[in-house]
Amino acid sequence: MTPVIATHRLARRFGRSDAVDDVSLSVEAGSIYGFLGPNGAGKTTTIKLLMNILEPSRGNASVLGVDSRQLAPADFARIGYVSENQKLPQWMTVPRFLSYCRAFYPTWDERLEQDLLRRLDLPARKNLKSLSRGMRMKAALVSSIAYRPKLLVLDEPFSGLDPLVRDELMDCILGMSAETDWTVFISSHDLAEIESVASHIGYIDQGRLRFSEELPSLQARFREVQVNGVAHREAPWPKDWIRPSATGTVTRFVVSRYSEETTPAEIRALFPACETWEARPMSLREIFVALAGNHKGGAA
Amino acid sequence: MIPFRVSFEPGVSLFEQVVYAAKKSLISGQIQPGEKFPSVRALSQALKINPNTAHKVVNQLVAEGLLAVYPGVGTVAARRQPSTARERALLLSRELEQLVVEAMKLHMELDDVMRALEDHWRRLKPAKEET
Repeated sequence: MTPVIATHRLARRFGRSDAVDDVSLSVEAGSIYGFLGPNGAGKTTTIKLLMNILEPSRGNASVLGVDSRQLAPADFARIGYVSENQKLPQWMTVPRFLSYCRAFYPTWDERLEQDLLRRLDLPARKNLKSLSRGMRMKAALVSSIAYRPKLLVLDEPFSGLDPLVRDELMDCILGMSAETDWTVFISSHDLAEIESVASHIGYIDQGRLRFSEELPSLQARFREVQVNGVAHREAPWPKDWIRPSATGTVTRFVVSRYSEETTPAEIRALFPACETWEARPMSLREIFVALAGNHKGGAA
Repeated sequence: MIPFRVSFEPGVSLFEQVVYAAKKSLISGQIQPGEKFPSVRALSQALKINPNTAHKVVNQLVAEGLLAVYPGVGTVAARRQPSTARERALLLSRELEQLVVEAMKLHMELDDVMRALEDHWRRLKPAKEET
């Protein structure tokens, strides 16, 4: 099956700096793809390249099988896109705004629209300008979901929102995912939020994609290992062991390619005198902290 | 609302954690046979997990005979033989393993652990049931 999003060596240069550099990723149909990375890593630029808001300097991207540079209104009628700083017509009320959007989308589902309005508790009479940030985000989401797009692209949808609103938005997205056949591409720097929801994770840092894979495989290969009873060991370290630190007789490091078959033997070989050691699974947050402190190695 | 809780441990397979929690509630009788089990959508929204994961959880429980699917009704807790002591012990395997690992780290002997366990047991269990 053709991937819903595929990029090949995608790059975008601003002046002298590469905002996005050599990014090749692929998003399978039906997945919820979490596109993660620190602020300024290139997430928004990548999304703008995908949405044909920016042109690539090198490489290419295809979205729903169409080259991103060729994306036309008919294609955008199958894509929902909500960005953090979405421009909305501030003078319109929510219903007015939605009926304005409706005209552009042949597949607009009014029953779904009404259902979403009710579930998200959106007011009918106030204009968008006087609504809270959370409410405006909800309105933007409804306007991007009501036509049942094949692909929903969300750029930092939760930043600056209170937990209650985040929950409502997430429920809404998960509810749609449970009943329709679509793909969600969601960028965030908030890891805990994405951790339970995403099926796939891509991590971008300084414009480069560090990895892109299924969440379970990511969780399986990262372990924080603690070795007890030996003094710190000097280099060399295996390339995929990162962030070594030691106090007294405890040494701790992160193994980025942990395997039940080989890693235990490697640990015993490098720490022949160790009393005990343990390997602990890591949250996404911990994985990213470990990776962020390991820029140069790029061992992930 | 869904009739069981999962406090997610980061880094561990979500699928396994939810299956484990659901099984516990089914075998311990918190969800009675014939009672409706939450839908994929309800599971996904309540636990904030990917619907595909929720779907896999339900399939797994059906495959293990803990849930039964009735077209038009939905998924319900299956009627089953009363759980055996072994099945119930299996439900605690994770906690037991943790206890053993911690005890070993502290260089405790099995006897010490058993004694400590017994103390706790007696403290929590009302005396009249002892006989």
